[in-house]
Amino acid sequence: MRKYCAHIIVSQFLFIQINVFAQTPILNSYTPAAGTVYLVFDGAEVDGTIWNEQGKIVAAPSGLSPASITWIHKMIADHFKLFNLNITTDPAVYERAPLHQRTRIIFTPNGSWYGPATGVSAIGSFVWGDDTPAWVFMDPLSNNASFIAAAATHQIGHTLGLQHQSVYDSYGSMITELSGGESNIFSNQAPLMGIPFYKQADWKNGHPSTGAQYVQNDTASIAGAPNYIGYRKNADETVSPDNAVKIERQDPSYLSLISSGDYTFRLFDISGRLLTQGMLKPGFNEIRTSTASSGVLVLQWSGEFGSASQKIMH
Amino acid sequence: MNTLKTILSSFCLLSSLLLSAQKKDPTADLPYSNKIEVSNQALESLFQAPENISLNLAPGFRLEGKIQNKSIHGSSVISLLIKVDSRPGGMLSISRYKDSKGVIYYTGHLLKLHEPNGLMLVEKDQHYYFIETQQRFLVAE
Repeated sequence: MRKYCAHIIVSQFLFIQINVFAQTPILNSYTPAAGTVYLVFDGAEVDGTIWNEQGKIVAAPSGLSPASITWIHKMIADHFKLFNLNITTDPAVYERAPLHQRTRIIFTPNGSWYGPATGVSAIGSFVWGDDTPAWVFMDPLSNNASFIAAAATHQIGHTLGLQHQSVYDSYGSMITELSGGESNIFSNQAPLMGIPFYKQADWKNGHPSTGAQYVQNDTASIAGAPNYIGYRKNADETVSPDNAVKIERQDPSYLSLISSGDYTFRLFDISGRLLTQGMLKPGFNEIRTSTASSGVLVLQWSGEFGSASQKIMH
Repeated sequence: MNTLKTILSSFCLLSSLLLSAQKKDPTADLPYSNKIEVSNQALESLFQAPENISLNLAPGFRLEGKIQNKSIHGSSVISLLIKVDSRPGGMLSISRYKDSKGVIYYTGHLLKLHEPNGLMLVEKDQHYYFIETQQRFLVAE
């Protein structure tokens, strides 16, 4: 019995250690997009932003397991699948993203430096260019993955310029700043920019907290000015080997490609002579080519979705 | 004829009201209580200033404070975080962005967390203004 208990204690200890030191899985929701939202689960040091009234902030790691992170990423990504926007957990993808089309969301247990809240963000900071982060404080969300994902989506909405969706009376006086959705028994929907925790939450057209005279179309605001991220060309497009790599532009000396993931590539001339080879990273890539290798070339790539090739007139 | 004119002018008025209520840039919609125009030179002088700042940004709008942080993001953005003595506890976060054509833009906020009001730098028709607005429109939970 004692041996059995010892086994349980050791395996529990190992499980906790694995969770604590588990690496965040590298996830991307839509690699062709330049606009990027980086989900930070491993802790962060923040300085030089509007949050630093009291000096540097050292945010503790989220402590979430890889499985929880994957699930939270999926929930958030689903809310943004309409848009030309990549939700990533990869810091390298964030670093490569345009300064004026990126933000990062820090998931940390508590926000004692700020006060009691489930999260906070600066409205419109996606386009500021100075890496001001938004925050999700997990303890007030009971560390519930659904609540964490909903709170993160809400904060991302703020960074993209959205105000709260509010409720007003017929005279235009505010009844509540955060709309909980329609108050009838047939509706189970709530605005993501209201209270998104207890009903199916989605983007809405409604009156924002700035006043009953305004209308905030959440999706148009996210896609349009000043974010200029737009919508995905085909929201239902699935990645197959054939469309995993797209050629954006070709000049005599280089090829510009958009890759949906990590692929090895090889470039041949028409006689089968290998001209160059290497790795394609998710997002934008350039391959240097020789001006001597003109004519018909063949680009071949292979990765987790399989292999494919494409002829190129060069 | 007069009735037709009245209907047409009412329609135009209603259309313009509807359009103005649905402007695309959300910052253009922010209600504000005060607006101070700041010249590009005044904004630029912040980025050339020494650590201790004492500048008139506009008539009646003097900024005194200390640079807490100066950071460069990429090759095109410089950000300053200034602790503002003239608004105790307030922080001015201001960034200067130079695009590929060499045009310079500024974004900025003067806030103290949990205060009711804050200032936001907005650009309209190539003029910059600090607008005073409710802070819940600038920082939200």
